[in-house]
Amino acid sequence: MKRSIASVLRSQSTTLVAIIVVGTVLLGIASSGNFFSPIPFRTFFQFLAVPILIGLAQMITVAVGQLNLAVGAIGGVAAALSAVMMADAGVPVWLGAVVPLVVGTLAGLVNGWLVVLTRINGFIVTLATMTILLGAQYALVSTRTVSAANWAPLADIGKATVFGLPVIFLVSVVVAILVALAFRYTVTGRSLLASGDNPEAARLAGISNDRSVIVAHAASGLLCGVAALVSIASLPGINQSVGGDWLLPSFAAPIIGGVALTGGSVAVLGTVLAATVVRLVDTARAEFQLAPAWVNFVIGAVVLGTVALGRVRQVRQERRLGAERAREASSTAILEKTR
Amino acid sequence: MNPEPPTGTPRATATLEALHITKTFPGVKALDDVSIRLAPGSVHALLGENGAGKSTLIKALTGVHQPDSGSIVVGGAERRLSDPSAARDAGIGVVHQERNVIRGFTVGENIVMGRMPRRAGRIDWAGVTREARRCLELLDLELDPSTPIVDLSSAQMQLVEIARALYTETTVLLLDEPTASISAAESDRLFRVVDRLRDEGTAILFVSHKLEEVYAHCDTVTVLRDGHSVLESEPLSAHSHDEIVDTMVGRALGSLTVPDRRARPVAAPALSLVDVTTTAGHHGVGLEVRPGEILGLYGLVGAGRTELAHAIVGLERITAGELRVNGEPVRIRSLREALHRYRVGYVTENRKEEGVFLEQSITRNIAVTVWSKLQRGPGFISAKKERDLVAGYVSDLDIRISSQSQLTGRLSGGNQQKVSLAKWLAAEPEILIIDEPTVGIDLRTKRSFYELIWKLADEGMAILLISSDLAEMITLADRIAVMDRFVINGELENSHDYDSMSRDVIHLIHSGAEVAR
Repeated sequence: MKRSIASVLRSQSTTLVAIIVVGTVLLGIASSGNFFSPIPFRTFFQFLAVPILIGLAQMITVAVGQLNLAVGAIGGVAAALSAVMMADAGVPVWLGAVVPLVVGTLAGLVNGWLVVLTRINGFIVTLATMTILLGAQYALVSTRTVSAANWAPLADIGKATVFGLPVIFLVSVVVAILVALAFRYTVTGRSLLASGDNPEAARLAGISNDRSVIVAHAASGLLCGVAALVSIASLPGINQSVGGDWLLPSFAAPIIGGVALTGGSVAVLGTVLAATVVRLVDTARAEFQLAPAWVNFVIGAVVLGTVALGRVRQVRQERRLGAERAREASSTAILEKTR
Repeated sequence: MNPEPPTGTPRATATLEALHITKTFPGVKALDDVSIRLAPGSVHALLGENGAGKSTLIKALTGVHQPDSGSIVVGGAERRLSDPSAARDAGIGVVHQERNVIRGFTVGENIVMGRMPRRAGRIDWAGVTREARRCLELLDLELDPSTPIVDLSSAQMQLVEIARALYTETTVLLLDEPTASISAAESDRLFRVVDRLRDEGTAILFVSHKLEEVYAHCDTVTVLRDGHSVLESEPLSAHSHDEIVDTMVGRALGSLTVPDRRARPVAAPALSLVDVTTTAGHHGVGLEVRPGEILGLYGLVGAGRTELAHAIVGLERITAGELRVNGEPVRIRSLREALHRYRVGYVTENRKEEGVFLEQSITRNIAVTVWSKLQRGPGFISAKKERDLVAGYVSDLDIRISSQSQLTGRLSGGNQQKVSLAKWLAAEPEILIIDEPTVGIDLRTKRSFYELIWKLADEGMAILLISSDLAEMITLADRIAVMDRFVINGELENSHDYDSMSRDVIHLIHSGAEVAR
């Protein structure tokens, strides 16, 4: 029990919570309390939903030893198709809400199938599908912005709050909990981790790595679809830029959150917290009216810093183990001399 | 195939028969009409040199490879093993040569992996712990299933893999070179487990290069050579040690003659360590290696031998004491400096991961240490100089290759190891540290390796030999230093008499006191 408390104190999540608390307080002071008034508070969480969802989407592919460069393109095309169907084809809103989920899952399935069938590196496969999907998104909406007026009931849900928290943020939290439960309590979830950690051992234990890769990409695509749905509900309109700025944040959240890029591990809480930190940086940027480029600068630097810090920790731990062994060896040597 | 219904105690038994198995890979007939019969309650030795087809046979019996023809019969019923999972259903458990664990998982999860106990669609974590504990108890292992697997030693991980094999109803257990990388004490423990499983009626297949342990623990034997079975499921007692070796290598090899090296010249030490403490955890280590001398550094796995080699060549830091090369105190900060400035070469332990570039040609592998010497103009490597240099080592070391451009990964283990050695020799070191040179190498290549090491010493090279194979140590070394828990327990002049030497070495490990000579 003691050990688990100590590990909680040392964990990445604790650091992130501390950063969030300090950052929130500083923002509160800088905005002379304005940050805590209902509208900025709601806006903060409203635009936290997508970063959480795409961070989780990326985390799932990273866990199995893959990556998904197409998160933004999948989300963008799913949102565009749904928007065009509702606006131009008169598709009912409830059906329009299902479309992004189906499109996302299918796109993810295709990514997974391609990786498994061609045995080509997931980097190249998703880079290619990303480019194709971006083309499709442009073909669907071209230069127009499809107005949210075409799906008023959905837009209402996008604005709705429960106890002051936006419904779409709560959706992303529920999704995060489901993802965490899946990795903890389902055989499929554990199989993904096994495949990501040591594919050879997983294969010899009767786990299909191919299946793991396909499932991971499909789940990742589904979450991109959820992010697309959330975007439809919360944005004033859908155009070709939706999803265009998702790629870096999708990697930033899991990496800062403590997920190993080598595969085999997940950190749902860490990913959610890291997405929150990124959102704080964005809010601070708006508060101090800095150019949006600063956010990219800060996030890029934080990602590099996190990776470097992780490495320093690892080296330190190895040193400590070595020193312990030296102490042990010298004490036994002394013991033997006195004998 | 349907999974066998779980049966309670007493444990079920079954005979495994593989009949006329043939398996062809592009360009090679790996198995040609091989048959084997594993009976309940007995241990069957599978012997053969590297590349003879042992691992292929094991993979064919466990659904990893599909044989081209032949049949596999378990307990009287013919089985088609389409994947590893089907083999488990058929009651065949296996522990492969390499450790196959998920490092991010606990001991318990590693045991039940692939067949997680579930309840109502979810993983039943209490069931995982319960089942894992049951399997560990079958082996008398006192391990907590919730321990992270990375906290275990390699030998313990191997036992966990056996526990995994026992998790499902296992009537046949295949062990591929289980003793290749564990210490003698750990081997003893493993054999206690093997003996016990045999007594309970399990049919066991045991692969090993160590004939002593084969004779001590096995009942029957099959010998493979070049994909054929030259001895098929015969009682081991009917064949002498020498006969078995002869069938393995295919021609009668005279036993290895140890050259008389007592007359070696006495020179000032080329490499000496004085009271060295390192970041890896060594304490008060003192050693001396003279030119033309082979100093053996013996110890059990985990004693700190490889780490000491790392400290010498600058991969770990020396925090106290002195390292001297040719009498001069030095501070070596990198492998590059060790090799080019102080002429200390280090033939690494793990050839596949550290020793060679598997996807590169033999030429590239050997010349990598000396590219700067082969230059023709700034930054360009002379292909001719490179070829000539490599040709010299290929013939000196008798490396069996089809051409210099052959990929190193296509060579046998022994030839890969020679390529790794040639790479360091190319840099013309005066001091050579050789770490576990013959792990997983067949007898014939082993012998040529021994002769090579003697030749290098005769030419004046100072050699520090690290090995956990005591027989190898007693054959090769002039003196043997014994390390235990990062401390040198003592040093012995080697008499090359196996019985007395092994007694003294083991005594040194246990007592930690110096045996006066």
